[in-house]
Amino acid sequence: MLVTALPTIAVMIGANRVVRGVAITNPTGDPTLSAADELALKRTIVSRALEMMEADVPPGTVWEVKGE
Amino acid sequence: MNAVHFLNQFFAGCGGEEAASQRPLRLDGAVGPGRQLDIAVSATVVCGDDYFGEMESEALGQLLQWIEDEKPDVLICGPAFAAGRYGYACGTLAREAVRRGIPAVCGMHEENPGVLAADGAAYIVPTGEGVAGMRKVLPRMSDLAHAVVEGRAESAPPGTYLPRGQRANVFVEKSGADRAIEMMLAKIAGDSYETEAKPPLEKVPVPQALASVANATIALVTEAGVVPKDNPDRLEQCRAKGWHSYDISGLDSLQSGSYESVHGGFDVHVANRDPNRLVPLDAVRALQREGRIGRVDGFLYSTTGNCTATARSLKFGREIAQRLKEIGVAAALVTGT
Amino acid sequence: MMVADSSGTSKDLATALVVASYRVAEVRNAPQTRLLAGRLEVNLEELRESALSEPAVTDVQVSLVKPGESVRLANVLDAVEPCIKAESPETTFAGVIGKLEPLGLGLTNRLADLAVVPLCDFRATHDLEREMEAPIRWHSIIDMDGPGRPHTHWGSTTNVVLQFTCNSDDPLAECDRAIRRATAGVARLLASATIDTPADDREIFRWDAVPAGLPGIAAIIQVGADEPLLDTCFYGSSMKDTVPFLIDPREVLDGALTAGAYEYSGVRNPTHFFQRNKLVLSLLKLHGTRIRFVGVIPTLAYLQSNFEKSRHAMIAARLAKSLGATGAIVASYGTGNAQTGTMLTCRACEAMGVKTTVIVSETNGGLIDHVPEADAVISVGNHEELVREWEPETTLGGHFYDVESNAPIESPGPLSLMGYFGSSSQMGDTFLRTVDV
Repeated sequence: MLVTALPTIAVMIGANRVVRGVAITNPTGDPTLSAADELALKRTIVSRALEMMEADVPPGTVWEVKGE
Repeated sequence: MNAVHFLNQFFAGCGGEEAASQRPLRLDGAVGPGRQLDIAVSATVVCGDDYFGEMESEALGQLLQWIEDEKPDVLICGPAFAAGRYGYACGTLAREAVRRGIPAVCGMHEENPGVLAADGAAYIVPTGEGVAGMRKVLPRMSDLAHAVVEGRAESAPPGTYLPRGQRANVFVEKSGADRAIEMMLAKIAGDSYETEAKPPLEKVPVPQALASVANATIALVTEAGVVPKDNPDRLEQCRAKGWHSYDISGLDSLQSGSYESVHGGFDVHVANRDPNRLVPLDAVRALQREGRIGRVDGFLYSTTGNCTATARSLKFGREIAQRLKEIGVAAALVTGT
Repeated sequence: MMVADSSGTSKDLATALVVASYRVAEVRNAPQTRLLAGRLEVNLEELRESALSEPAVTDVQVSLVKPGESVRLANVLDAVEPCIKAESPETTFAGVIGKLEPLGLGLTNRLADLAVVPLCDFRATHDLEREMEAPIRWHSIIDMDGPGRPHTHWGSTTNVVLQFTCNSDDPLAECDRAIRRATAGVARLLASATIDTPADDREIFRWDAVPAGLPGIAAIIQVGADEPLLDTCFYGSSMKDTVPFLIDPREVLDGALTAGAYEYSGVRNPTHFFQRNKLVLSLLKLHGTRIRFVGVIPTLAYLQSNFEKSRHAMIAARLAKSLGATGAIVASYGTGNAQTGTMLTCRACEAMGVKTTVIVSETNGGLIDHVPEADAVISVGNHEELVREWEPETTLGGHFYDVESNAPIESPGPLSLMGYFGSSSQMGDTFLRTVDV
């Protein structure tokens, strides 16, 4: 599954499980956060990705990091 | 006849990658390459590549409002050449403008994802990959813009614009039989030939969900060009010739200074201060220690997805997938731009 | 090797097919059927009597229909070029009406620019739903003028049109056989006017051994053969249940293959397209110089199971390979179900090292089926594209029927190319192509 800050392009060319990343320059991080907060964010992003690996989804599904 | 011109941050003079988050901007008249368009440009609208990609509906909302206020005969976007984020913005904006009744002309390389984003709505002048072609491309875009407004674009010679996603029957000089024989002879001689019909873009079915990642092996894959310091395999910053695997079995994190990104398509300095912002190995290891992930393959599979041709990207993906299947990996966590 | 000259010695005739062409500039009804310097005089009543000689035929209307006339031909079954085995007329269309002798050798005279076109409204006399496993439903028209004219070859030929009415008491299969025999008989009768008259052109078709080293090319041609009215015949008998075999290309040109399939008229093979098959004509021209034409291999369309389709594909590929083919041109037929077989044939050939080019007709959604090995595809048109509506002054051939409900309708309205006879034939005999725009 794919973590990217450009999920629309990814779905357009056929990706099925996509989690929206934070930004193009840092899809799985955030330089504005403290190191501890950033690690927590990374864990949240990865957990979301793992959740999606375990989920049945329709083709071309995009999840936000939080919620759904 | 008046036009609105759309440019990204670079061509509007706002700056390079560091200005990729430029919020939408409106300027009077023509700016930068727009001054060389042979058409009256009443306004130029600008947006940073990253801003458009990450805040698409906000960007579109503002840009389209400014465009509609001008009541232009045509919207001109780019040319974006092979720049993927810029091309995507051009294609998406063009598509939305056409939906609102404003014809659109763009310029970009035929492999630019912006072509797909335009969804057949825009007339796209095919360009080369590099900016060096600018002087030749602008007149072609102007000519096409005039043709579109005057309703004669459809009778332009083939190649004036990229196919817009339709197919039509035409009578040709050679019979199907003679074309078949010609193609056959070329194929067995190893000469080039072009098929007359292709299947639609391959739709990959959704792979079955994993029962539990805690019992599975996952692998980390990236197209963000993440490589060990000094890039030992010389991974290209664009038009990657291959993919590489790097031993991360002993690592708990990708350390700044030990790993870096060579991707030429976005500003890498944020990621280079912490490469886990591209491949979140630190978080993966934490979750692995807690038992949330069963096993992590010992290698990071890496390539650069910048201007990489579709066919080659498909090849890399198939090869990596094949390798992962052989070693029993159940799922890949792929990261990229 | 093909040479056009005016000789045709007896040695040629023993080892080659010699086709003498007679151009027809003008055709008219006259008391005697004869050919005088490009002007064909035809006794239409004599043709009618010939056609009526088949017991299952109760009536035939014969007319001459010319390009540019405001005429639409409906319920078109086939188009047959008038031809005759000049040295042995009794063997013309061997197996259909002729004595069983191998075709593809000797002197054959043909009337160019002319076609015999049988029409029959079977629904008027027979219950197709009861008598057929897969009842035919599609329109089959030829327009002699209007927007549809360029889309069928016979919008540009002078057509000897035979409107058949059959005996409703006779089984459909018998009626069909009668119509095909009657049509062949009229074709031969017309061509008999050429005997002992000088030809305008002469082609000599040899199929001899060639120097080693030339690449072998096979023509694998899919044909439909399921039941009467959905059939293709080889020497007069249905090809149903055959497996791929080898046909001398010259047999194809000489009337050994005849059409009897009346569905999806836009995407199937009229007899005329076998008689003047462009694939065979061009491959024979190249035989001995650029290629070794290993022969024509028919495969069947519309096989019912994936196993049967794969089996046919494998047998055809193996035969091509055994004949030394380096490449095979795979011609499709019909629509989706048959085109699946085409793609499997392509795959089977490529797997055996025989490179392929595939000829297919496409739809509004592009290719119906595809395999990754089919990287060299010729598209002979999108058969779902609509042609503008046209109102002819005269329509011959009986009723139109709604393709869903079978109810009679006044006119078919704007019709897709699927309804235009031979418009997108997948052996490559037309000049249509689909392009990206």
